[in-house]
Amino acid sequence: MTKFSKERQLRVPVARFAKRQGFCLQTVELPFYEYRIDLYGFSRKNDATVAIELKLSNWRKALVQAMLYQLCADLVYIAMPESSARRVDTSELEFCGVGLIGVRDSGRCTCMLAARTHEEVRQNYRQSQINYLKENANG
Amino acid sequence: MADAKPSVILRLGSHSEKEYVAKTLRQFDGVMVGANLLQISPAATASLLLKLHRESERPYFVDPMTYAFGSYCDVETGKVRNDLDWIKSNQKVPSRKGVTERRFKGSYRKLADSFGPPFSDAIDRGIAISPADFPRNDVIDVAVQSVIAFQAERLRAVFREDPQTASFADDLPVPGVVFAPYFYVEPTRAQQWMQLNHRLASSATSQHKGIPVHVIVCGHLDLLTDEALSAIVIENLLECKPAGVWLWFSRFDERIATKDELLSLRSWVEQLSPSMPVFNMHGGFFSLALSKFGMAGTAHGVGYGEQKDVVPVIGQSTPTVQYYVRALHSKYSVPLIQRCFSRLRIKSPDDFFAKVCDCAICTHIMKSDLDEFSQFGEIHYSTPTSKRAAQTPAAARRCRYHFLLNRTEERNEIARASLAEIVTACNAAWETWPTVIRPFIEHLKLWSEVLSAT
Repeated sequence: MTKFSKERQLRVPVARFAKRQGFCLQTVELPFYEYRIDLYGFSRKNDATVAIELKLSNWRKALVQAMLYQLCADLVYIAMPESSARRVDTSELEFCGVGLIGVRDSGRCTCMLAARTHEEVRQNYRQSQINYLKENANG
Repeated sequence: MADAKPSVILRLGSHSEKEYVAKTLRQFDGVMVGANLLQISPAATASLLLKLHRESERPYFVDPMTYAFGSYCDVETGKVRNDLDWIKSNQKVPSRKGVTERRFKGSYRKLADSFGPPFSDAIDRGIAISPADFPRNDVIDVAVQSVIAFQAERLRAVFREDPQTASFADDLPVPGVVFAPYFYVEPTRAQQWMQLNHRLASSATSQHKGIPVHVIVCGHLDLLTDEALSAIVIENLLECKPAGVWLWFSRFDERIATKDELLSLRSWVEQLSPSMPVFNMHGGFFSLALSKFGMAGTAHGVGYGEQKDVVPVIGQSTPTVQYYVRALHSKYSVPLIQRCFSRLRIKSPDDFFAKVCDCAICTHIMKSDLDEFSQFGEIHYSTPTSKRAAQTPAAARRCRYHFLLNRTEERNEIARASLAEIVTACNAAWETWPTVIRPFIEHLKLWSEVLSAT
């Protein structure tokens, strides 16, 4: 069991975690076509972007969305309550280059699988998301 | 095994879609309008149909929409409702500022008045028509005459009513076929509704000797797979021998249907097609592929309308018009398709044209830059206060035209191909397209199994 009953409850601890990793410019619910990326961040220091899909349990559905977000982000993660994250078949995520973050009830986050950089990213999408962040995001 | 050339009828949902129909109708086999559209904007619809007929020489059809005055199943609760609420809307009360009342939509009220009793009675009392409203055959005959006369004569009557157009009235063609009145076979009283529909169909086919009479079978999804009920409907149809039959199973969507449902549809077609042309009222590629089993064709909207619930779901936001992939016979979001490019080894516009689509829309948009594919999914905030970004009208238009061009290609390919080749193509697409899209192309495997089942 987990205390998290809604995906948005994962947002604050995951955003804090991403900030600690250097993704200080952040925005939530970033539109990407008909999708909305739960959390998107940019690290000026590393010139890297990250997209994070928050999910309570259905990691397969999250994986499909995560793979789409690879079009506009250098690194893509799925973040789930730790109890759900433990049940994920990480070999599938690893094959796709998608990372996994487990969120404890305390809010502490653990990187259970590191995302890989990949060749799916489209520079036009990535750049327009960065521009949006620079104009609108807090950080 | 029958091998009919499939036809595709475009359904005009509203006047905002007329541009698509006008520009592509020559590539299709006819246009269908709902009687409610004809009733709410009679002059505009009549003029449009005359124009379309002159330019394309394709027939038109008027769906009498009589089911709208019967019972229906509430989408949320599943319960049968007789209150006709779904043909009502909240309307402003003229003398009371800010006050609205739930009233019948003008188009359906006028339609009921045109049809006369028992349709107008149902509106007056605010309770749906039931089989008991047709106690005698003379009531059936009068209702049939009036509904068929509406389809056959309404356009000319509209032109005659206006002195400026009266002289053109005789230029208007009659519809390609007329439909017998029909009601939705809701599951709690299926036998009664089926019996009523049979009486209406029999009256129509026996009374009307001019324009060919077609029958619409409109039922709950259960009717499709229920062997006993199906057998009764099929037997009734074979007995009254209409010139054609149109199947409409509410919520049946060939892309998410079960194998059992797909096999049942094939079975209906196989049983009926030796005696009459069989059409799917709202179908897509699978229905066209069933032409190898005798299906005469299908109707659908311009973007895309390949399935329809009897009762439309109200209050949903405008859906995104997604990009149609001909090899997969379905529509997908732009990023989902783009995410497949690397595995499909699409690196240039020419690769895309060779492997996905080389229609006029795609070649124009991606002349020299593959990234321009994104134009099919462009989003914007339609007003300064919009909370959600939505697809731009231009992007939706591109997707619709691309779909319509691809649909004609699909129809022509099916006419040329053998059944085995269609099955092989479905299997090949399943194998070729990558994992990321696999959850959304399961229909290809099912279709292949159903089309090749012995």
